[in-house]
Amino acid sequence: MAAPVPWACCAVLAAAAAVVYAQRHSPQETPHVQYERLGSDVTLPCGTANWDAAVTWRVNGTDLAPDLLNGSQLVLRGLELGHSGLYACFHRDSWHLRHQVLLHVGLPPREPVLSCRSNTYPKGFYCSWHLPAPTYIPNTFNVTVLHGSKIMVCEKDPALKNRCHIRYMHLFSTVKYKVSISVSNALGHNATAITFDEFTIVKPDPPENVVARPVPSNPRRLEVTWQTPSTWPDPESFPLKFFLRYRPLILDQWQHVELSDGTAHTITDAYAGKEYIIQVAAKDNEIGTWSDWSVAAHATPWTEEPRHLTTEAQAPETTTSTTSSLAPPPTTKICDPGELGSGGGPSAPLFISVPLTLALAAAAATASSLLIWGTEIRRSLACAAFLP
Amino acid sequence: MGEDGETRPPSRSLPILSTGDSWGMLACLCTVLWHLPAVPALNRTGDPGPGPSIQKTYDLTRYLEHQLRSLAGTYLNYLGPPFNEPDFNPPRLGAETLPRATVNLDVWRSLNDKLRLTQNYEAYSHLLCYLRGLNRQAATAELRRSLAHFCTSLQGLLGSIAGVMAALGYPLPQPLPGTEPTWAPGPAHSDFLQKMDDFWLLKELQTWLWRSAKDFNRLKKKMQTPAAAVTLHLEAHGF
Repeated sequence: MAAPVPWACCAVLAAAAAVVYAQRHSPQETPHVQYERLGSDVTLPCGTANWDAAVTWRVNGTDLAPDLLNGSQLVLRGLELGHSGLYACFHRDSWHLRHQVLLHVGLPPREPVLSCRSNTYPKGFYCSWHLPAPTYIPNTFNVTVLHGSKIMVCEKDPALKNRCHIRYMHLFSTVKYKVSISVSNALGHNATAITFDEFTIVKPDPPENVVARPVPSNPRRLEVTWQTPSTWPDPESFPLKFFLRYRPLILDQWQHVELSDGTAHTITDAYAGKEYIIQVAAKDNEIGTWSDWSVAAHATPWTEEPRHLTTEAQAPETTTSTTSSLAPPPTTKICDPGELGSGGGPSAPLFISVPLTLALAAAAATASSLLIWGTEIRRSLACAAFLP
Repeated sequence: MGEDGETRPPSRSLPILSTGDSWGMLACLCTVLWHLPAVPALNRTGDPGPGPSIQKTYDLTRYLEHQLRSLAGTYLNYLGPPFNEPDFNPPRLGAETLPRATVNLDVWRSLNDKLRLTQNYEAYSHLLCYLRGLNRQAATAELRRSLAHFCTSLQGLLGSIAGVMAALGYPLPQPLPGTEPTWAPGPAHSDFLQKMDDFWLLKELQTWLWRSAKDFNRLKKKMQTPAAAVTLHLEAHGF
């Protein structure tokens, strides 16, 4: 009989139709990920739906206005960062989910900034990089290090993801190192490279534990001590020299001292009683550049304890001692314009009497009064200089 | 360098010079220099120890490094581009006989004093020889003067190293047969290749001076001898 054959045929056809239907109408389990450039325009089709299919679009669960649609396609113009999200299109009547797009708006990478430094000479050096502007989407970096024609391994830093470390195999090399980095993301690609000699990238970390202390009974001294940076592996064979700078907080000008060895120094010209800020930097004796300045230390030189005030006369003593070194000497003279006219002592012109004895007596008197008069003139002149 | 471009093996006993054989002359010169007796450093009684002369040698390397910076700048400008460009990074081809300062880190650390000093002495002997060759070809009188001055200072450094070795009781290195510092140019040694050789010579010299500073630092730390009165005594004798 022919009955089973048509039944089997129908079953197969039905199954095929079901599969086709499922393929055309089933929701996608995972959304399609799409990267688009900031500022550009993008048209999102609703999966495989016809252009004239009736669909509704939603972003992150919120309906989108129909005026953004071009048929069943979503058109986004002038993409901004806020456009990033999960876009879904639904069959308008059945609310059947047809298509999902996870949109990321970003930028292609600009040329990365790469720098290398050896703060652990002669053990090795590290290179670190960053992008001058964010891309807002994931980037992958690839670093290669060449020493002449030899490829060296750059080990990733365990903590920082934009840094890797290279170990020196040979020292005192005349051949330069070339470090190249390439960065790429879904929207583009960029690269840069730097070349340098072994010696030029040496820059120690700043000295540690900078401590400044006053020196008892020395009002103008400060004792400064510090330690070589702990990252510098071999200070014996690769000694460091140091640069100290200090200034009182109230002044802007630094004073500098360069020290070829030792980790201590005594400042001997501090202003009495003023708080000082002190910093130290380090450099390999022969090669490379100075480190950054250390964390600042603060200290004030020793000042004598003010004695217990028993009389008023003692009070000004302590105040003048702390201000004397900076302030101009206070004038002790009080200028009274009236003084110029009269004068404290004999200011009248001198009269010389005719008789000799009288003349001699007068001469003596004149001499002494001249002396006093001279002083008075000086005082008056000094006074006049201060008056407007 | 040589006008005819020919290479001539150096003759040890009797150098045979023909006209225009600059390489032969250079070889002769180098051979003669190599066999010069070492400068006796401290042949006085009451040897105070090597400390002060190590310090002096260290100071000399610093002085020379400083002098070299200006000399190299001038010379590279004379060679012209690309040699005087800061990014110039050529592969190390040729100049194989130049003494190389580069050394494995662990090997360098573990060098004993004698070997450390010997390597320095041999290196500067070679480099001095090549520098003297350079001097003969320099175009301007100014350059020749600077090079001559530098050669004199370098000779002083050699003497200083010899002094340290003598003070420590190490013999001065004698050249092995066949390893004399001759620098024969390859076939058709072009002007450009010659300039490359000059470039590498100056580069190697600079690197050696940095290395020597580190070498002598290491030696200095190893023998911390009180030096004050001794230094005065030494300086009176021209050290």
